[in-house]
Amino acid sequence: MKKQSRVGNRLLVGLMFLFLYLPILLLIVFSFNAGDSSAVWRGFSLHWYSELFQNRLIMESLYMTLLVSLLATAISTVAGTFAAIGLYSLSKRKRDALLVVNDIPMMNADIVTGVSLCLFFVAFFQGWGGFARWMNSVQGVFELPARLTLGFGTLLLAHVAFNIPYVILNVAPRLRQMDKNLVDAAQDLGCTWMQAFWRVILPEIKPGIVSGALIAFTMSVDDFIISYFTAGSSTSTLAMTIYGMTKRRITPEINAVSTLLFLTVLALLVTVNIREARQERRAASQEPRKLTWLERLAVRTSTPGWRWAKRGAGAAMGCAFVAAVVFLTGATSARPVVNVCSWGEYIDTSLITQFEEETGIRVNYQTVESNETLYSLLKSGGADYDVVVPSDYMIAKLIEEDMLEKLDYGNIPNFSLIDERFKHLSYDPENAYTVPYTWGTLGIIYNANAVEEEITSWSALYDSQYAGQVLLINNSRDALGAALLYLGYSVNTTDEDEIREAYEVIADANRRGVFQGKVMDEVFQKMEGGNAVIATYYAGDYLSMVENQADGVDLAFVIPEEGSNWFVDAMCVLKDAPHKKEAEMWINFIASTEANLANMDYIWYASPNREALEQYPAYYEETYGESLDQAAYEIMAAPPEVLGRCEVYENLPRETQQLYSRLWVELGR
Amino acid sequence: MKNKRALFAVPYVGWMALFVVAPIVMVVIYAFSTADGGFTLENFLDMGTYASVFTRSFWLALLATVICLLIGYPAAYMISKEGPRFQRIAMMLIMLPMWMNFLLRTYSWMSILENTGLLNRLFAAIGVFDLVNRVTGSNIAYFTMINTQGAVVLGMVYNYLPFMILPIYSVIEKMDNSLVEAARDLGAGPARVFRKVILPLSLPGVLSGVTMVFVPSVSTFAISRLLGGGTQMMLGDLIEQQFLGGAYNPHLGAAIALVMMVIVVACMVVMNHFGEGEEQAVML
Repeated sequence: MKKQSRVGNRLLVGLMFLFLYLPILLLIVFSFNAGDSSAVWRGFSLHWYSELFQNRLIMESLYMTLLVSLLATAISTVAGTFAAIGLYSLSKRKRDALLVVNDIPMMNADIVTGVSLCLFFVAFFQGWGGFARWMNSVQGVFELPARLTLGFGTLLLAHVAFNIPYVILNVAPRLRQMDKNLVDAAQDLGCTWMQAFWRVILPEIKPGIVSGALIAFTMSVDDFIISYFTAGSSTSTLAMTIYGMTKRRITPEINAVSTLLFLTVLALLVTVNIREARQERRAASQEPRKLTWLERLAVRTSTPGWRWAKRGAGAAMGCAFVAAVVFLTGATSARPVVNVCSWGEYIDTSLITQFEEETGIRVNYQTVESNETLYSLLKSGGADYDVVVPSDYMIAKLIEEDMLEKLDYGNIPNFSLIDERFKHLSYDPENAYTVPYTWGTLGIIYNANAVEEEITSWSALYDSQYAGQVLLINNSRDALGAALLYLGYSVNTTDEDEIREAYEVIADANRRGVFQGKVMDEVFQKMEGGNAVIATYYAGDYLSMVENQADGVDLAFVIPEEGSNWFVDAMCVLKDAPHKKEAEMWINFIASTEANLANMDYIWYASPNREALEQYPAYYEETYGESLDQAAYEIMAAPPEVLGRCEVYENLPRETQQLYSRLWVELGR
Repeated sequence: MKNKRALFAVPYVGWMALFVVAPIVMVVIYAFSTADGGFTLENFLDMGTYASVFTRSFWLALLATVICLLIGYPAAYMISKEGPRFQRIAMMLIMLPMWMNFLLRTYSWMSILENTGLLNRLFAAIGVFDLVNRVTGSNIAYFTMINTQGAVVLGMVYNYLPFMILPIYSVIEKMDNSLVEAARDLGAGPARVFRKVILPLSLPGVLSGVTMVFVPSVSTFAISRLLGGGTQMMLGDLIEQQFLGGAYNPHLGAAIALVMMVIVVACMVVMNHFGEGEEQAVML
């Protein structure tokens, strides 16, 4: 009877572990997948492991994660230990009050900690900017940097800030258990304070310090939310890289790197456990313990001569560590860089390497999701980009708010290659700030195998017959724009009633459960895999989806009869960009005909470069040995009669923008 | 001598003032001001609009916490009744998943729950849908699991279950077994022993477990975005949207964060109070 219930218990615990480990097992299995899907098995391969070491983004963020976690752990362990000792020498009342403050970062939701640190850093930077400008104006001896941004420094500070409480929490119980008289006794016997610390306190609290350090390190490695708000744009930890990827598609290289990390930790834990178990068994049998080779070495080296050698070695190792950190951070900052921010899957990545090889300038290439997100990032002070690639209406807004730098077109000779159609557009009438990057149209993408009849109108997005199958585009401008067109209004209307009516169309469909989700780049994976039927997205991305569509999925693209939006995305340099020269070199490189051809072939968005646009069909034939499908070409580069049915977004007045934001947030209710 | 050691606390007090207190003061300032820097209460008056987000967040987080407790407590109890080797390995296995990034683990659930995901394909392979269709006369090819509230709760339970098990286990493991034996000797049945002895003694572990699950659940934005598809907006999403997302308004974001913080702290104070009362009852 007893035995049976025990088996039952173990079975239940086993089930719980199955629940915990099933997804992990899946991740590990799919890191050995020959294909790039995380659901379809295409055979065993180690391909992704070799690929991993070539992937700069992942390797850099892995390095960043380890560096930040190790440094933060080291700093917070030392600081936390001393702070705990200090706290335990205070009177109980003071100590308890301080411990309450100490608990705040642990009790607070991560997002509150992240947001508050972000606001604090940005406020500090603003204050510092004013101070530095004043200092630089009154004295000429040294120049203070006026522009600080979120980055490695703030990330490290944030990690230290949330790690210290965990260290204190682990050290405190040991201090409480320690006999206070021990220290006094040691000092009475002639120990200096330092000696008392090293020989009495430290050995007593060592287990607490070790477990505190371990927990701090685990927390640092696993943290995403606080890093996300404090790291800024140019620093990315592994978790942040993974978050960026979950929006599009996780490449199996991430599975591979996680598997390696996981197995390393597993191996470490198993070793430690086996050792502990062995020690316990020995203690139980009371067998005299044989010294391990490490301990024999320790005994042999405890003579005075050796002790100095050990101290020397310790100091040398410390210096080497500091030197390595300084060297590595120096090595990454000494090279000229340019920080570029663009949309996901919006460049032929070989162009980045090519530019780096030609010029020796390092390209820090980041992506964001939508124009609105980019604006938030710029405003919240987290971004230190040089070049951004916003769309037309956002450019107008950025110009209006004086956030862009005028370009020196003398440094951008390739600007002359841009077709006249794409110069002096309404968002930049003087053409003083921008060089067009791509242009295209917004439309409906649908799985022709899953609908009864051809889709020709925006009404399909709100149709109950497709309940649970429609993906709403996750930015206010495109989503409300489609609804306005459906109602027969202009996408640039400022009439509040018309906008509210459009909002009602979306909100009503939302209530009826028409939308499966709100997506931006998640749309690729959902549509390609046949997990949704209808989506609103951009023409170029439709063509990439067709390339990757799963069996049984037949994607089609339509510009609805009510008309649509056509857009231009253009490269601009941000105000006070620290690398303006490099930024203009990059813009010039990207505007060249070769780069435009490569980009067009890779991302399927139409180029504004006259020669590239004309030469593309020939380029395609030469590269692939078959002629370009005319229909596909016309979807990419819409002919004038189609463009005639489409409107360009204009920058809306401030009140209308606020209405858009407010309605957009309300939709999530 | 003693005072000398107390000096170690001074830098830390300064540090806390700078990196714990000052940032929270910033949140308060932002919550009560407009973009031009003037004082306003508007950010809070707007809050009624988001009442449904608040209720959804607290409801889903509560659900996740209760499920975690229902799974975690028995699991912790059963593990603590096993031999030391089993216990050690079990604890290791519970900690270990934290070394696989939580976003990745959540993403893995996505590929399981998707309409054409592994689970639906498994169901199709063993003929579940044929059976259902024959019995009910419907025509379904998959169960909708992704982008539902259920999926979000599942993601929370999955990610935060270890935070429930660990504190409960450490309390039960340290529990003085002679108390249980004494209760048995005095004639209490197993149910009564559990209710009168084990449960009250393990309450501190339960309380810290509940906090450690509830707080991250109520404020998550990654889980609801991945498994809820953006349709199940939670407080975390709402705040993130105001800072780094599609509707830039840090003042409103700070106000929401502040309100959330106050509610969570209030909940915890009440709960801890209740916990303390119980502990005293035990002592009496």
